[in-house]
Amino acid sequence: MKSTPCAAIVGAGRTKFAEHWDEDPRSMIGKAGMTAFESVDKGIRRRDIDACYFGSFLYQVTNKIGLVPGYMSRELGMNVPMINTEAACASGGLALHNACIGLQSGNYDAVLVAGFEKMTDRQDKITDDLMFAADPHEFEAGYTFPGLYATMMTRYMYEYGNGDARCEEALAQIAVKNHHHCVRNPFAQFQEKGEITVDEVKQSKIVANPIRILHCSPVSDGASALILTRPEIAKQYTDTPVYILSSHEATDHVSLYTRDNITGVNATRIATAKALKAADLTIDDIDIAEVHDCFTIEEMFFLEDSGFYPKGEAWKHVYESCESFKGPSHIPYDKNGHELTVNLGGGLKADGHPVGATGVRQAYECFRQLRKEAGGNQIDRDVNIAMCHNVGGTGGVATVHLLARDLE
Amino acid sequence: MSEPIARRNLVTEYRIKATRCRSCGAVYFPPKYFCNNEGRESEMLELDHFYELGELYSGSVINEPTKRFSHLNRFVSAIVSLNSSKVRVPGRITDYRPTGNQDVKELIGRELIPRFRRMYSDGADGLIYYSSHNFSFKDDYYPHQKYEVIAPSSKDGKPGIVGYGVYVPKFRIKNDEPALGVVERGVPFADEDTTTFAVEAGKRALIHSAVKNSEVKKCFVGSESAPYAVKPSMSTVIQVLELGERFESGFFSGGIDSQFACKAATDLVIDAAGLVTYPVFKGRYVMVIGADNAQAAPKDRLDYTVGAGGAALIIGKDDVIATLDHYLPYTSDTPDFYRREGERYPKHGGRFTGLPAYFKHVVTAMRGILKETGLAPSDIDYVACHSPNAKFPVQAAEDLGFEKRQYEPSLVVKRIGNLYSGSSLAALGAVLDIAKPSQRILLTSYGSGAGSESYIFTVTDLIEEKRRRLVPVKEQIEHPKREYVDYYTYREWKDMV
Repeated sequence: MKSTPCAAIVGAGRTKFAEHWDEDPRSMIGKAGMTAFESVDKGIRRRDIDACYFGSFLYQVTNKIGLVPGYMSRELGMNVPMINTEAACASGGLALHNACIGLQSGNYDAVLVAGFEKMTDRQDKITDDLMFAADPHEFEAGYTFPGLYATMMTRYMYEYGNGDARCEEALAQIAVKNHHHCVRNPFAQFQEKGEITVDEVKQSKIVANPIRILHCSPVSDGASALILTRPEIAKQYTDTPVYILSSHEATDHVSLYTRDNITGVNATRIATAKALKAADLTIDDIDIAEVHDCFTIEEMFFLEDSGFYPKGEAWKHVYESCESFKGPSHIPYDKNGHELTVNLGGGLKADGHPVGATGVRQAYECFRQLRKEAGGNQIDRDVNIAMCHNVGGTGGVATVHLLARDLE
Repeated sequence: MSEPIARRNLVTEYRIKATRCRSCGAVYFPPKYFCNNEGRESEMLELDHFYELGELYSGSVINEPTKRFSHLNRFVSAIVSLNSSKVRVPGRITDYRPTGNQDVKELIGRELIPRFRRMYSDGADGLIYYSSHNFSFKDDYYPHQKYEVIAPSSKDGKPGIVGYGVYVPKFRIKNDEPALGVVERGVPFADEDTTTFAVEAGKRALIHSAVKNSEVKKCFVGSESAPYAVKPSMSTVIQVLELGERFESGFFSGGIDSQFACKAATDLVIDAAGLVTYPVFKGRYVMVIGADNAQAAPKDRLDYTVGAGGAALIIGKDDVIATLDHYLPYTSDTPDFYRREGERYPKHGGRFTGLPAYFKHVVTAMRGILKETGLAPSDIDYVACHSPNAKFPVQAAEDLGFEKRQYEPSLVVKRIGNLYSGSSLAALGAVLDIAKPSQRILLTSYGSGAGSESYIFTVTDLIEEKRRRLVPVKEQIEHPKREYVDYYTYREWKDMV
């Protein structure tokens, strides 16, 4: 493992992800930010923050908020540099990536990273709005966002499923697993809904065949925030910082139809490989991962794109891992005895997916798990290395962050 | 979408244009004007996929569409790989009604034909957007035809019909009981309208005639159901079919949308023939299209006879399949059928639409042209009349002494309904489908308001040779893949204009 991380997380906060009909964007941002500040063990003052990095996707559309830096300057009462990042569902991950670069530049010692989204304020227009994350020609072909992922899923099943019912079963099991993971996460949107079964997934309403409603992440409101510092000074703020070992972003065509291959996400492959190489790690060194499961097929893609399972075979391993799971706690993916536990808080599927907040929420979850602060949802084995994987659109952008508690 | 975006997009999307780098062969959709590999040094070649085939690469059943597409309820959106360039484009499958749980894997690899259809509109007062990123299955109703230009073997002869095309939509409704002889009728799919019918008919006429599209320098579109009150369908037809020589993103050609109830198109056939013989015009061909999504108020008597579709003629002097020999129009101000501006459906004058309107004008024109030419009914091989139903044209023909064998082949109204502006041209098309060289055809249209004109055509030897490029009307009527819809669906789709 590389011993010179690029940043350290010293505090993290979030709101519950839900349909927050009574909350406006300001209150959600305020709650997430305040919680992050308050979580810094040795305390941090607002004037210690040198810059802010925000991730949001649809604020201009959902809440008519355009000049995010100016808006946030008022809300936070700060006049430091502020940068808003829009990269669809990867807005939060990209804000975190940019924050790492800012800290590595040496210009800043401590920064705030926050992601937020208020999707329910657009109600039934959100299906159309989400197509901002796709190509206009795809919109004009009648596509919806689930329809695009369904097109990838169709091709994946066509090329690799071999007509085996277990392939479809595995795609349902991912949803079942992530719901199982969310039941002890008090911030998760579906904590109250709780467990679901494979049959429920397979019989749920069809949104864009073969994608059913229970393959999908929900429409959510929420905010999440992190306090990052340069690694050298992290211990001024906490004795147990979580280090960001590497932070990488890769891009690919916004349009599915211009990509050579739609049975995976090339941006994930590139970003994962680069992040692992930079940290001098392999995928088998990762203990836990927060993975972008906007639709369950995307978690399947990650398992192959990251190299954890061979191309076209993840569904068999997912099926076997889920089928053989006996215990009450988190369901790990098994590879010859090595375990990778994915989406401990429920992932986008069950924790919720307020688009801009997701990438930051993933780091929040890893921060809590690595510091053994996840309460009732704490993983029941010792884990030290985590991966956060955030995807924008159908794979137009992907960010990958590697986190570790102990550097040795 | 705004008007400038629409204008830029349609130049690409009406014909699925892509570009290819001459040096490295890389193909781009959306078209790029420099190559990613070769940079500014690259020379890009335009590719056009309008007449091409593709195949379904992958897709999904869209059960919960965006608001813009909610009028289509449920459909398949797909990635289509186009055969010649292998470029992939997004598209919607049209003329196809999937079930919610249709397994799209089963559709992968099926061949697809691009179709010019409506995507959506910006409300009732906004723009209507069209594209050819809509595809129907090759093994379904709509056949794939290549468009090949063939140099004419005979030039500058007597003007007449060089080619024609009739388009009847895939969907039909059956009448519980025949309505004035009309058994079933064509129904526009939810993304079809008069402009798409005009394009389909014109496309078929181009393919049948095998003339160069750049030499068609005038286009007339007659209709009483044009999607816009102000903005021609004709300019869309010219843009899609690329009629006239291209200059920048427009074409050196002209035309007009015309309105005279059901004879808006037919009366312009003589004008087209005049133009091609007039030296100042300089064009070799004129396209005349009659197309309608024939309108009728729900449960009105007309609601059981109206159809949908279009027919097109290409008029010229080279390689004609039928010479235009005689013409006689007859007009009077007769208020038998009308629609005021802003009203959705036309009104008709009950029994007044019969004797003092249709019969008076049709019979007068037919009798007049026979008298003028000195021809007897027995000198005519086929008679084709405007067909508001299957009774009127029979009665008019019989009143003049024509026999069943002369008028029966034109009575396609029984199976496709009244196409309004396309009615008499579709009847003519059905006759041309079977006519032999030297046979004589009498065509008489009728337009409320009111007027008729009669034409006499003589079929030439070339009709046989060109027939292989036809999609005959009978074949469309009897196509095994035609689908029937119920009254509710018919009304829903018909009213989506």
